[in-house]
Formats: sequence, structure tokens, C-alpha cells
Amino acid sequence: MRLAGKKALVTGGRQGIGKGIVDAFLEEGAHVTACGRGEKPAGYPADWLTLDVADPDAVAAAATSLSALDILVNNAGVQVEKTVVDSTDADWDHVMNTNARGVFNTCRAFIPLMRDGGSVINIGSISGNVADPSMALYNASKAFVHGLTRSIAVDHGPKIRCNAICPGWIETGMLDAGFDLAGDPAGAKTDALQRHPVRRFGQPRDIAAMAVWLASNEAGFATGQLFTLDGGMTAASPLNPGLF
Amino acid sequence: MMLEGKNALVTGARGGIGRAIVARFLKEGAKVYAADLSPEGSLHTPQDDGSRFLKLDVTSEPDAVAAMKQIGDEDGKLDILVNAAGIEIEKTIEETSLEEWNRSFAVNVTGTFLTSKYALPLLRQAAQSGSSASLINFGSYDGFIADPGLAAYCATKGAVHALTRAMACDHGPEGIRVNAICPGYIDTPMLQSFFNGDGSGGDGGNIETLQQAVRDVHPMRTYGTPADIANLVNWLASDEARYASGQLWVLDGGLSAQVQQMRL
Repeated sequence: MRLAGKKALVTGGRQGIGKGIVDAFLEEGAHVTACGRGEKPAGYPADWLTLDVADPDAVAAAATSLSALDILVNNAGVQVEKTVVDSTDADWDHVMNTNARGVFNTCRAFIPLMRDGGSVINIGSISGNVADPSMALYNASKAFVHGLTRSIAVDHGPKIRCNAICPGWIETGMLDAGFDLAGDPAGAKTDALQRHPVRRFGQPRDIAAMAVWLASNEAGFATGQLFTLDGGMTAASPLNPGLF
Repeated sequence: MMLEGKNALVTGARGGIGRAIVARFLKEGAKVYAADLSPEGSLHTPQDDGSRFLKLDVTSEPDAVAAMKQIGDEDGKLDILVNAAGIEIEKTIEETSLEEWNRSFAVNVTGTFLTSKYALPLLRQAAQSGSSASLINFGSYDGFIADPGLAAYCATKGAVHALTRAMACDHGPEGIRVNAICPGYIDTPMLQSFFNGDGSGGDGGNIETLQQAVRDVHPMRTYGTPADIANLVNWLASDEARYASGQLWVLDGGLSAQVQQMRL
């Protein structure tokens, strides 16, 4: 039980990566509060806060309902699939208010509650380091998360540590929906798998495993870093598989 | 004329990228020592361009010493050193023999080390005469992300990147700037060899199909020319770049700025 006695808050905890992290934290003995925009899902295994991280007043109010905190996971995020030229002001507000301002809101409100040895874990993205096509605001919002991660590590050490996990392609339901839109869904999936040296996509539990480690005292010297978990995809040149 | 009054030594100077650098340096008014194993180099044609040919095996310590003695005797200083000599073994580590591994490191890493080591006194002389001296290494985008079947090459270029930062740190206080250029796909004999190594492409097409597929992965939809590389080498060599040091300059048509281009 590597997180016994620790109190954790996970944003975007309803499904996908966030839910995977909540489950893993519970298995490791943490007391977990998850949050999301809607009501508590039926049968949810952890405490639930209905909270939109994009709303600074709501986040500040939520902070008064928690006493101490050891682990903060900023996982809530949205994406809009457009180029800069196609993006509207509403798209900017939607993406940046959640992915960028949301992380700012929660860090500002919850870091003061964190005890010595606390760990902030932000979910960045490989897309914050290299560009996914037609994801301009999303890519930029994740680069913001990467920069903020380093700033928090520098400003709030030694009391707390702050790192980011940069996932690649993780099977969250969104992934298969993407393949279904392709002209040749089976071919698209085969091609995508060939670009992963491990020949599979990630699972939420892969990300959760790193989050557990970063949250634990074993990671006491890890801070200010971006940890990529992508099955080796970004270690390879973006050439088509099988060309050479 | 951005390099008037400067002298330069370019290794691998008769290769694809080397020749473009030599030509650009001459055009910008520099005196150029063009060093290579032979006057023909990897392009297998001689070139009478006004540069001074220096026979230099970059893996040989006596050759490095002799080259610097000649330049010292003639000019007493060296303003610009470009370590462009390099080889590429197209294999995985399992296929690579120890001899091939050692040869890759001898040319790409030890060659950069030896030429730089013996050029330093002359670079220092140049720096003391006023403007900064500029040392330019050749890394590669393959030093950051891997192409398949190029293991030793990728490793040597990663070593050059680290050496570049170390040298910039050690010799910056002496007025010597050290940078590396990290090319992507540049149309050279080395690239053609890489294409010809398979020749068919993974889909069983011909070499032109393969080349077009590679171009299409680039945001700029083409690969680069040696002149594109020479443009940046020239700037880094010039006094306009007097505050540029310790950096790895990727020039790849945007190839490495993007994530994998899935077929969706």
C-alpha cells in the first residue's frame, strides 16, 4: 500500500485516464476525492465533488471543503480538432479554460492545502512536445501545462513536488471512435499500431501506474519533469512504418 | 560578404553537404581549407573551386596535428571549424559488427574530438584577435529520434550533441562558440545510399515512390538541399551569430516538429 494515509484529489475522474488513476490510488490505500462537471456516477468508488475546473470561484469554494491534501492530479481536459485558422473564440475559451486555466485554478486553490512531501501530477501530452495535426489549441494548451509544471516545481519545492505525465495514444473509447471515422478503420488501426514499438496502445492503467509512482514517496527526488508514456511512439521518426 | 577576413576549415569537405559549405564560405569571402580523404570525396568528382585541399583522415591524430600545423604556419589562426565528416552504417545493433560500430564512432565522434582538440589553439588565436571563433559540429535529427536500422549512427549523433554542449561550456569563456547543426533528410550521397539500401520501399514500389513518400511526411513536403544546410552554417560562422552557442540547430523541414502521421 504505497499511498496509505495520503489524501488525493483527481480532476476529470469520471472516466478514462482519470478513472484509472482513481482506481489505482484506491488500491494503494489513498483516500481519494474525484471531481467532474456532472453528478457522482452511480456506484462510484471514491468521494465525489461536482466541480468545473474552468470556474475559478467554484474551485476556490471547493478548496474550503477540503482540509489537507497530499496528491493533486490535474487530469481534466478537453480537445477541439481544428487548425488555428478554423478555431473560434468559443473554441479558445473551451480548450484553454479547461486545459490551461483549469490547471491554474486548481493549483492556485489546492497547493496551499498540501502537506509537506505533497505531489502535484499534471496530465500533459506528447502533443505538447510535438504537434498533432489540426489540434492547434489542444497542442498549445498542453505546452502550457508543461511550462506550468516546471514553474510549480521551482516555486513550491521543497515542500511539494510537481511533474507531468505525457500520454500518447491511450485506449479511452475516444480512440476507437477516431478509427471508426477513418476510410479504412482496420487499416488505420494496423498502421497506428506499427508506429508503436510496443505494438499496442496504452491503457488508463499504464498512466495510473506512473501516477502512483510519482505520488509515492519513492519518487521523492523526481520533480519538474515531463514523463512520456507512449509505447515508444515519439522515440521514432514520423516516417511511415515499413518504408525502409 | 559575411565572412571576409576569416579563414575556415571544413572536414568532409568533398561530400554533399561539405561542398555546399565550402562554396558558400568562398562566396562570403572566407579563405577555406577543404579537408577530406581525397579530392574526389564521396561525390567521386574533383572540384576546383578556389578552396585549398587538405588531405585529412579525421580518425588520425597525426593527420589532425599536421593539418593544424599547416594552417598555423600559413595563417596563425582559425576562425571557423566545421566538423562535417561523417559516415552512416544502415543496420540494427544486432546486424552491426564491432568493427562497424567502432568505425562509426571513430569518424563521427572521435573525428569531431580530434579535429576540435587540435584546432583549439588556433581558434583561441582567432578569438583573441577580436571576433568570436565558431566551431560547428554535425549532429542529426537522428540524435533525438530514431530512424529504423540506423542504430550506430543515431548513437554517434547523440554523442556529438552532448559533446557540443560540453565544448560550448568549456570554451565559451575563451571566445569560442560551439554549436551543432542537426539535419533531417538532405539530398546527399548518404541519403541516396539510404534509399538504395532497400530500393523498393516497404510497399514494393520503386525508389521514386519511396522518395515521394518521404517528402510527403515533411510539413514542407520536400527534403532539404546541401545549400539549405550551408545557409545556417554560414550564419553560425558569421559574427551575426556572436551570441549563439551551445545549441543544437535542427534543420529538417519540420519533420521532427510533428507526431506520427497516422493514416486516419
